[in-house]
Parts: sequence; C-alpha cells; structure tokens
Amino acid sequence: MLWRLCLLSLTLFSLMSVSAVTPALAMVLDVDLSKPDVRLNVSFKGAELLLFGAKDTAGDVVVVVRGPQQNQSVRLREKIAGVWVSTDEVVFGNAPAFYALASSRPIYEILPAAVMESERIGTDHLDLLIKEKPDGASQQTIQEFTDGLVRIMVKKDLYTNEARVIELIGKQLFRTDLWFPANVSVGEYTVNTYLVADGVIRSKKTSHIQVHKVGIEARIYNFAHEQALIYGILAVIIAVISGWTANAIFKKRA
Amino acid sequence: MQIYLPIAEISVNIFLILGMGGGVGFLSGLFGVGGGFLMTPLLIFIGIPPAVAVATEANQIVASSISGVLAHWKRGNVDFKMGLMLLIGGVIGSTLGVWLFTYLKTLGQIDLVIQLSYVVFLGIIGGLMLIESLRAMLRSKTSRPKRKHHNFLHALPFKMRFRRSKLYVSALLPIGIGLLVGVLSAIMGVGGGFVMVPAMIYLLGMPTAVVVGTSLFQIIFVTANVTVLQSVNNFSVDVVLAVLLLVGAVIGAQFGAKAGAKLKGEELRILLAIMVLGVCVKIALDLTLTPDDIYVLGNAGGH
Repeated sequence: MLWRLCLLSLTLFSLMSVSAVTPALAMVLDVDLSKPDVRLNVSFKGAELLLFGAKDTAGDVVVVVRGPQQNQSVRLREKIAGVWVSTDEVVFGNAPAFYALASSRPIYEILPAAVMESERIGTDHLDLLIKEKPDGASQQTIQEFTDGLVRIMVKKDLYTNEARVIELIGKQLFRTDLWFPANVSVGEYTVNTYLVADGVIRSKKTSHIQVHKVGIEARIYNFAHEQALIYGILAVIIAVISGWTANAIFKKRA
Repeated sequence: MQIYLPIAEISVNIFLILGMGGGVGFLSGLFGVGGGFLMTPLLIFIGIPPAVAVATEANQIVASSISGVLAHWKRGNVDFKMGLMLLIGGVIGSTLGVWLFTYLKTLGQIDLVIQLSYVVFLGIIGGLMLIESLRAMLRSKTSRPKRKHHNFLHALPFKMRFRRSKLYVSALLPIGIGLLVGVLSAIMGVGGGFVMVPAMIYLLGMPTAVVVGTSLFQIIFVTANVTVLQSVNNFSVDVVLAVLLLVGAVIGAQFGAKAGAKLKGEELRILLAIMVLGVCVKIALDLTLTPDDIYVLGNAGGH
C-alpha cells in the first residue's frame, strides 16, 4: 500500500515538472462558445462570439485565440537616394493570421513572464519560426522585424496586444466577448482558456472555432478557384452587358 | 450599408464603392481614359488588397469603356480602323509587357518599378499636356489655330487613310503607340488611356473628340484580356466588387461623355493634365515622405 502511494506521488511529481499545468491542483474548468463558427456571409462586418464558462474556485481566467498559421513576409523600408525602398526581408513560417488575448486582470499581474513564454501567451511570446532572413542578421534585427509584424497586425485589428477584459461573475462564472473583425482569414481558430491562481496555470481547456464562408460568398469564391477561366469570361460578359444596358437606358432618356 | 466581398475578403460600404465608381466613371467618359490610374490607388487606399484592386479594376473598366464607346459612337467619334491598328500593337505590347513584368519580379523590386514608372509617365505626360493646352488656349484667343506641321513621322511607309480621324498616316504609327501602351499597361496595371490619349493627339494629330472614343474602343479589348488572365492566374477578380463599381461607373461615364461634348478640346486637356499631375504628385510623396512604419508586410504571405 505504501509503495503504491509512493509511485503515485512520484508520477504526479514528474507530471508537474514537464508541464506548466499542475495536475495535483487541477480544478474544474468548463468553457463554451455562443456559436461554434464564424460565418462570412454577404452582410458580414465582423462578428462577436460570447465565450463563457465556469470554474469551481477563485482564480483568474486567461483566454488566447489564435488564427491559422501562415507564411508571412515582413520587409524593411529604407531611404535610398531620397526614395523609400523595400530592402531586407524576413519570412516567418508560423505567424498566426489572428491573435487575441483576454484576461480577468492585467495579464502581467496574473502570470510570470516565464509561464507566458512557455504557453506563448501575449504578442511578445508568439515564438515565431524564422524561415528566411538577411545574411548575418542578429537576434536584435530579427526582434525588430517581429515587433514590426506585431505593430502592423495590431493596426489591422488582427492582433490584440492589450488584453481584453474577462468578466468574473461571482466566484464561479466568467464571460468575455471575442471580436473577429471584417478582415479575418478563413480557417480553424484555436481558443485556449486557462485557469490561473497564484501565478500558476491550474487548468487549461482548448476549443475550436471555424471561420468559413457561407452561401453566395462561398459559391463565388469556390467558382472563382475551381472554374477560373469560365469565371473570368463571365466577369467580362457581365461587364459588357452592364455597359450596354446603361447606354440603352440613357439613350431612351436622351 | 456594409457588404462583405468574397474575393477581397473585407467588408466595405456599398455607397462608398458606388460613389467611387460614379466619380471615376464620369472622368472616364469625359476624358476617354479608363480611370484605372485613379481607381486602383483609391481601392488600395480603402483597404482592398492590391492584387484584387488591379484585377477587379480591369473588369470594371471593360464596362465603363463599353458604355463610353457607345455614347461616343452615336456621335460618330470612334475610328474603328484606327482602333484596330492600336489593338494589334496593344496585343503585341501587352505580351511583351507581361514578360518584362515577370523578369522585373525576379529582380525583386517590381513595386518600386511600378511606382517610379507612374511618377515618370504621369509627370511627363501631365506636364506636356498642361503646357501645350494652356498655349493652345492662349493662341485661340489671340489668333487662328496653326496648321498641323509635317515631320518625319509622315515619311513612314504603309500609309493608310483614316477617314474618321481625317488622317493619312503610316499604319506603323498607331501600331507603335498601341505597342508602347500595351507594355506600360501590363507593368502599371492600367488600361493605358492616359498615355494613349495624348499620344494620339500630339503624335498623330487626331481630333480630340475622335481620340476619346477610339481610345475607349481599344481599352475594352485590353482590359477584357487582363480580366480573364488575372482570373486564371491569380484568382484575384472580385465580381461583387466589380459589379458595384461598374454600376456607378457606367452611369458616371454617360454623364461624363455628355459633359465632355460641352467642353472645348483645350479645356478637356487642361483638366486631364491637372488630374494626371495630381496623381503623380501623390505617388511621388508616397515614395519620398517618411512612412508610418518602416516595416511593411511582404507578398510572401498566404496559407
């Protein structure tokens, strides 16, 4: 009996050391979304999804939403002979197309930097893969390109580097609105919800959101890609007919 | 009222797009230029991805050019024979242009080349037109217009009679202009009217009224070709955006053609020159003023 207890605690100990999540103290965390997907239809102008959940104890909640990964090139512009020219280029292999962060208190009060880094929480810890870089680029240079990428994406409303607010309702319930702007990319988005207490992640839940085109949007998009030649010819025919029709209408009035 | 564009993948205001189409369509009917050199930068400015802006704009120009051509044809202002010669040159030129574009792309500075060629060509053409038309205006007030002078261009072989244009010149001239315009339009992503119109006026000595209709006639075919090629190669033609633009544009072009009939040739040319110079200055400023951020997203994106 005693050796069994020893083995159990040993297993727990080893689990604790490999993961930031502390299973010995793991707590109940349930999360759900108001809708499982974001539908890009004709009237789409951004979408708000409600994320809500319950936990069985006091503690803070952090939510991270990541869009699909993509190759993303970032170029530096330099002034040469009075003209701004694109020069050095860095290509990131796994830049998320979307990144949003929400937390129940300012993130730096909840989590130590080391945990944020290992769990890739916050735009400072995207852990980007460098696919291409200028010859002899220093760590400093790469960091400047990374900061540049984050700045551009924040400006496009695709990255959030200041955490949005998660409302805690009583001790057990929480909710937050996830905002997807009108320029989101299609693909599978991952939502990680963390329960945090005393600077340690106690529990983590992963959910997924599909961002996809529906209805006429999806049909036009698929048609354009699958039957490109016919699509192009139809586009010209539409243009010819519109031009002709407009002229006919005006001729009658004249 | 917002609408989500399936290919451009952004949400835009319907009335903004209709208004932009109407405004540019008006200018296109007025001057016989496709308006691409105005609309493409405008579309990029409101957030349409550049590749989609260029390709969709070509599609829209097809519609406004047809609407414009029909309006000009009614007044007998289209020289089909001349248009055919321009078109022959245009087909050869745009093929060469696409080849040159691909070559410049491998050198890695295509964006800069595009912007610089905009500044250079718009600057030269706008400047020359402004000076010439101001002179013509002053001259018409003081004395009778001068007779067209003959130069080496009239010594070229393969002479042809162009009745509508009241010209007897070598067929090589319109073919050459079409060729040059074809190369430029492939590189700069425009119909090329703003190059063709002054070339026909100043090099060929065609009457301004006929130039406009004939230029539009040629632009229809060039932009229709570009639309199909872009659809096949880049999937970048957004039909929804194109339809919104062309609804505004075809109506605008009709009003433009009517307004053009009321203006004198010199006045038309002065207005076009000022507009061309305006776009030139804007692009030159973009190239030289310090940008908001010294980093930009490159085009190696995608999933």
